[in-house]
Amino acid sequence: MTTEVVRAGKWGRVVRLGVVVTGLGMVIHGTVRGTDDLWPFGPMSQYAMSIPSNASIDSIRVVARTDAGTTVDVPLDTNGAGIRRAEIEARTSAIMGDPSLLQSVADDWARKHPDKPKYVRLELVRDTTTLAHGRVSGRPASKVLAVWQVQK
Amino acid sequence: MSWFLPPVAIARIAWLRTILYLFVILDIHLFVNDTRLKGRSPELYQPLFLARLLDLPRPSVPLTNTLYVVLIVACLVGATNRLPRLAGWTVAPAFTWWVLIGMSDGKVDHDHLALVVALWVLPTAGQARYDDLRTSEIAGWAVKCIQLAVVSTYALSALAKIRSAGWAFTWPTSSVLTWAIVRRPNPVGERLLDYPWLLHILQWVGFIGELLSPAVLWLKGRWLLLAALFFLGFHAANTAMLGIHFLPTVVCWLAFAPLERLGKFVTLPAKAISRREEPPLPVRSS
Repeated sequence: MTTEVVRAGKWGRVVRLGVVVTGLGMVIHGTVRGTDDLWPFGPMSQYAMSIPSNASIDSIRVVARTDAGTTVDVPLDTNGAGIRRAEIEARTSAIMGDPSLLQSVADDWARKHPDKPKYVRLELVRDTTTLAHGRVSGRPASKVLAVWQVQK
Repeated sequence: MSWFLPPVAIARIAWLRTILYLFVILDIHLFVNDTRLKGRSPELYQPLFLARLLDLPRPSVPLTNTLYVVLIVACLVGATNRLPRLAGWTVAPAFTWWVLIGMSDGKVDHDHLALVVALWVLPTAGQARYDDLRTSEIAGWAVKCIQLAVVSTYALSALAKIRSAGWAFTWPTSSVLTWAIVRRPNPVGERLLDYPWLLHILQWVGFIGELLSPAVLWLKGRWLLLAALFFLGFHAANTAMLGIHFLPTVVCWLAFAPLERLGKFVTLPAKAISRREEPPLPVRSS
C-alpha cells in the first residue's frame, strides 16, 4: 500500500464540514421537534411509543366479499391489493369520512389478479385486543368502520 | 476537523458504489416498490414537506415509469464505477424522489436515511478504482457521512423513544413489543407473547444499544466488528419477531468495513475491472 494521501483543499474542507454540521442539525431537529412530514429529516419514531401494560391494541384490516360469494381478508401488501396495511391505517379516518377511497383497493386487486374473484363489497374493520398486566386477555373485539360497494 | 475527513482507501468508495447502486435496484423492486402504484392511484398521494417545498409534480404513470428507467440505467452505470459523478448525481435525486413518493401516503419508514445520505455523498469522491489503495480525505468524508447516518438512525431512535414518552425513560418497560406482535402476528413473535419479562429484556438491550451507538464511530478492529455484529443481531431479532428488516440501513454498515481489502482476495477480477475503468481512447481500433 502506498502512503500517499489525497488531501481536500481548504474550501473543500470547509464545505464538507458545513454539510455535516447542517445535516446533523437537521436530523437532530427532526427527532427532537419534527414530524414524519419532514422525511428524510423527520423523527426516527418507528415503534417509539411507550405502550401501557393495560393498553387496548387496535389493528386494522379490510374484509372483502367477492363475486364468487366468499368473504376474505384482503392481503394488504404491495403484491396483494397494492396497498400496505400501514397506509390503510394511516388513512383510517379519511376512509371513514369517504369510503369511496376503498375503491382503489378493489381496482388494484382486479388489475394485479385478473384471474382471481373480484371484490364486490369492502369493509374496513378494526380489531381491538386488550392487555392486562402486559399480557393479551381474551379474543379481539371487531368493529366495522366503513363499508363500500365496489363500483364496476 | 480531520475527524470528518479521515484518510480512507479510495477503493472502498469503488466497492461501496458497486454494492449500494445494485442495492438500490433491489430496493425499488422489494422495499419501496409501491412508487409506480402511486402513479396509478394518485388519490392516495399526500405530498411530504420536501415535495411541497420543491413543488414537485404529482406522481403519474409516465413520471414514475421514467424515474424507474432512469434509476435502473444510472444504477447499472454507477455500479461499474464509470461516469461516477454523472451516474451518482442522477441516482441521488432520482432515488430520493422515488422514496419521497413511496412514503407520501401517510406512512413514513425510517430505514432509508443512511442509504439516501450514501447516494448523495458517493458522487463527491470522483473517480475510484477497486485497486486504488491510496488514501483520500475526500473518500474519507463520504465514508464518514455514511457512518454518521447509520449511527444517527439508532441514536435518534433512542431519542425519539424518550421524546415520545414526554422526555421520560418509560419505553423499555412498556408493552411496545407486545403491541407490535399483536398487530403483526407471526409464529416467533406469538410464542414470545407469553413472556412479557423477556420482551422487556429485549427492549432494554435494544434501547441501551441505540443510546450507546455513537461510540461505534470511535471503535476499531475487533471491537468495531463486535459492535457491528450486535446491531446485525438486533436487526435479525426484529426481523424474526416483527418482520422489520431495516436492510437499507444494514447494507450501509459496509461503510465501516475495510472493503478495500477485497481487492486482495479477488485480485484478477478487480484488476480486470479497473483496466476497463481507464478513460476510453478517442479512436478505437477494432
